[in-house]
Amino acid sequence: MTAVTQQQPLLEGRGVSKYFGGLAALSDVDFTVYPGEIMGLIGPNGSGKTTLFDCLSRVQDISKGQVFFKGEDITRKKPYQVAHLGLSRTFQIIRVYNKLTVIENLLLSQQWRNKGILKQLRPSGQQMEGRAKELTDFLLMSHVIKEKAGNLSGGQKRLLEIGMALMPDPDLILLDEATSGINPTLIETIKDRIRELNSKYNKTFLLIEHNIHFIGDLCDRVFVLDYGQKLAEGTPDEIMNNQAVIEAYFGADGDEGDDEYDE
Amino acid sequence: MVKFVQAWRKYRLGKWALALLILFLFLLPVPQFVAPEAKLVTNSLLFSLTQMFMLIILASDWNLIGGFTGYYDFGHAVFFGLGAYGTGVMMAQMGWAFVPALLIGAVVAAVFAILLGSATLRLRGAYFSIAMLGAFVAVREIIRVLRPITGGGSGLTLPPYLNRPLFYYVLLLFMIFVVWVIWWIRRSEFGYTLIAIREDEVGAEMRGINTTLHKIVVFTLAATFTGLVGGLWAYQNTFIDPDVVFFDSRTLDMVLATLLGGLGTVTGPVLGAVLIYWLRDVLWANFLQYHLIIQGLVLILIVLFLPEGVLGSFDPNSGTRIGGWVGKILREADGETEETANAAESVEAPV
Ligand SMILES: Nc1ncnc2c1ncn2[C@@H]1O[C@H](COP(=O)(O)OP(=O)(O)O)[C@@H](O)[C@H]1O
Ligand SMILES: [Mg+2]
Repeated sequence: MTAVTQQQPLLEGRGVSKYFGGLAALSDVDFTVYPGEIMGLIGPNGSGKTTLFDCLSRVQDISKGQVFFKGEDITRKKPYQVAHLGLSRTFQIIRVYNKLTVIENLLLSQQWRNKGILKQLRPSGQQMEGRAKELTDFLLMSHVIKEKAGNLSGGQKRLLEIGMALMPDPDLILLDEATSGINPTLIETIKDRIRELNSKYNKTFLLIEHNIHFIGDLCDRVFVLDYGQKLAEGTPDEIMNNQAVIEAYFGADGDEGDDEYDE
Repeated sequence: MVKFVQAWRKYRLGKWALALLILFLFLLPVPQFVAPEAKLVTNSLLFSLTQMFMLIILASDWNLIGGFTGYYDFGHAVFFGLGAYGTGVMMAQMGWAFVPALLIGAVVAAVFAILLGSATLRLRGAYFSIAMLGAFVAVREIIRVLRPITGGGSGLTLPPYLNRPLFYYVLLLFMIFVVWVIWWIRRSEFGYTLIAIREDEVGAEMRGINTTLHKIVVFTLAATFTGLVGGLWAYQNTFIDPDVVFFDSRTLDMVLATLLGGLGTVTGPVLGAVLIYWLRDVLWANFLQYHLIIQGLVLILIVLFLPEGVLGSFDPNSGTRIGGWVGKILREADGETEETANAAESVEAPV
């Protein structure tokens, strides 16, 4: 794990707010993610975690506040422009191209790197197939490379999503409940992969997780959302002993802690 | 059957069959030059085939935006109309020769597609469909009103040029070109991108694809081809007015042919257009009053019973009974075991 130094943040949010009608899904959230970090994002269901990802990847408009990525203001950028800057994500509700094969899904996730439509007129897959195959090996999916994504199991689809997020060689990867519905052995694999990507290739991660052990094992820092507000921030140990966090999870709302492994 | 499939693959019979078909179509008008009195091939047969080639091109265009990209354009014939009028006005009013006039027609269609697409392709799905329907009606009425330029309701007469074999050859070549372009697109990264947009546009956008740009490009390409067909049609028809050009069911024919053959495949719209064309010929000859009713019924039947189209139903992954049967034969031909069987790859699989 990389020590957090006083370097320029990779991702920075200042007073990020998102309103759905009268509902404040995010209110005035500040956060920073430094290059080389693995940062956790936790919070009870409905606390605004996915909404924050949606705002960062710009598929949702940001109602108030600003977001900077690599020092550039991305508050009003289009989703594809943010992706081009090197920010990738996966989705809590799986999004793959069901009718295309695994390798086609992967290839499409970096197609924008062939700058310009004319360059896309070559038969698909000639340039980047090597990288796609490497990634399927890396994610233990090489046996399903020609399978239609729609025929994969839920766990395989999650792995494919991770592959799709990695395909364009991004700097920051947002993972939204990447381990939900995945069996424990595979979770260990994913953990190893994230660690390897982080230490060997200096990839930065921001991950939403319900699995506390996963967070504890991987993350340098964690920040906590509750009702759209930032509740706490710190090392995993600090967070797990934080009174406000314990209350948010086990307090008024009863046994939210049981959601640890839900789908 | 298995032996047949194996032989088919081994000797690349598909390519040979296609080459033979094209050769046949090229040679078809020859008897008319060599022995016109024998009436082996009549002008009216050539005329019919020419109309069929046009429908194949139109359906293939519609399939680009409707089948690959998933945007159902219910007013696509507007580009046919713009091509026809662009060409017609330049020839009848300005006295231009056909070829430059046709180019103007294509440019008008393309520019209109860029302008209209920039506005409507930002809307999703149903809004786009309805906006295009509106555009179709609006353009027809504008042309009716712009009497000094377009001749209004009484139309325009183009310098007649009655050379059926020539139109036949031009449309044959154009059809081959368009189908080839679409076949090429289907295999290219660009084609896969269109399918990604159809499958999950929001996801595609977040994965770095400038979806609006891709949609506008493919829409403009389809519109340009359609505009060229419109111009050619105007010249061979020698007369245009808003009602014949903006004929009610012109878009419906494209939709019908594409759905019947197989949405999102290269050869589906070709096959569908052939079927629709001959079906309509029969219907017009025998049930003139009811042809729209029957066409509507056919559409409903396709949607209910052949949702993947004729061609799509033969795809092993379609889940249909025919598809399962085809899959079994292909697997046996491959000598594969049941478990590894799912990967039966084909550019023609409806995706
Ligand atoms: N598109 C939307 N429209 C309206 N409300 C939404 C939308 N997306 C999320 N919300 C609401 O915003 C709140 C936060 O949701 P979400 O970000 O999905 O929470 P989490 O990912 O932390 O479980 C919830 O109350 C949810 O109902
Ligand atoms: Mg969520």
